[in-house]
Amino acid sequence: MSHEKFSDEFLNAFVDGELAPEEKSRVLLDMSQDEALNRRVCELKTLHDLVRTGYQNPPQSGSTPRATGDTRYRANIAAAVTLAFGILLGWLLREPVGLRTAAGPAPSQMPAPDTRTAGAAARAAPGDAAPARVLIHINDNNAVHLAQALDEVEALLAYYRAHRQNAVVEVVVNGAGLDLVRADVSAFPDRVEALLKEHRNLTIAACQNTIERLAREAGIAAQLLPGVTVIDSGVAQIMRRQQQGWAYIQV
Amino acid sequence: MDVLNIFSRQRESRKKLEQQRARLYRIAYAWTHNPALADDLAQEALAKALQKSGQLRDPAAFDAWLYSILANCYYDHFRRLRESEDIDDIVLAHDVTPEHESGAREIVHKVRAAIARLPGGQRQVVTLVDIEGFSYMEVAQILSIPIGTVMSRLCRARGALKQDLLRDLARPAAAPEVNLRRIK
Repeated sequence: MSHEKFSDEFLNAFVDGELAPEEKSRVLLDMSQDEALNRRVCELKTLHDLVRTGYQNPPQSGSTPRATGDTRYRANIAAAVTLAFGILLGWLLREPVGLRTAAGPAPSQMPAPDTRTAGAAARAAPGDAAPARVLIHINDNNAVHLAQALDEVEALLAYYRAHRQNAVVEVVVNGAGLDLVRADVSAFPDRVEALLKEHRNLTIAACQNTIERLAREAGIAAQLLPGVTVIDSGVAQIMRRQQQGWAYIQV
Repeated sequence: MDVLNIFSRQRESRKKLEQQRARLYRIAYAWTHNPALADDLAQEALAKALQKSGQLRDPAAFDAWLYSILANCYYDHFRRLRESEDIDDIVLAHDVTPEHESGAREIVHKVRAAIARLPGGQRQVVTLVDIEGFSYMEVAQILSIPIGTVMSRLCRARGALKQDLLRDLARPAAAPEVNLRRIK
């Protein structure tokens, strides 16, 4: 029973092409001389093919946005292009760098419709009254992350505005992320203020627990930037929002 | 013109994303066997991927990165449902009775029923390897488990599938059997 010297794990690795050429040829050589081993390998290969076959054409969900999204995309293209062209051109002339963030790498333009529906079982057509609800969670004070988070918020809000979509975006800061909204240490105080001023549908919420901890442990009374609201607990807020069906994004 | 380029790029990447969506959906369906849920998971994973696209350092690792997001969405889903049991303990029921189906469709249903009976962890590993052709190393990254666990889960999964499918397919005219499973 020479085939028993190969464990099942080893033969699986052989079938999945995970073995080094040397080990592979050892199995091949043994297979040519051992009927039982040959059968074991053959069974594993068959199973591999069966699983593949089983999911070649998975049933589509009745509400799959692939079909509706595509049709919608085509149907609205003329109107959307005309509308978006004007708005994008406005953006382009107003703030070239901003445009690159919002529309440059095309993917960053598109998260919005996906985000809008993420997690929600029902899919709403664009222009539906139900607003897109997105929560962005920031819990570190790495300047690169913070800049990235603000970029994301800006791009998201710009997208919704450009597409006239009803949306609410809430940024929850806790832990080290509180630094973003502390007047004395924030790396981007002007940007935060400007964003809040410009977008009524944006809330930036700071965690009361973090503020208290800062006072208790470091003796710092955190001064927050104007417009920043305070919530009891960042974590609790995230859980509440998720239960209400908000899309949750951690940056 | 710049703006036109933006549109054509947008269209291309939309197309690319739609392709990714189909792949993500396939795997999500293989994990959940629920078209609506699989659809939501694929959608959520794509949305997160787009939001986090800046975090992807190595473009070659895109696939593994994308599927790890899907895996997290899958875990989050169960967390949201407040299901505290281990994902490995979750057994999906399959409501298709293949008796009236014929030929290829019968095989497809049998395969799906057998996969649905696997514990969640094994189901994830075997579908990632067999359907998407990920290497063991990539699967380990996607599911954040050691490579040894990938190998042992795969081995157990194939062992169970062998019992379930090969024996079954060898005797296609077997008496109809009823599988009653507890749904958690």
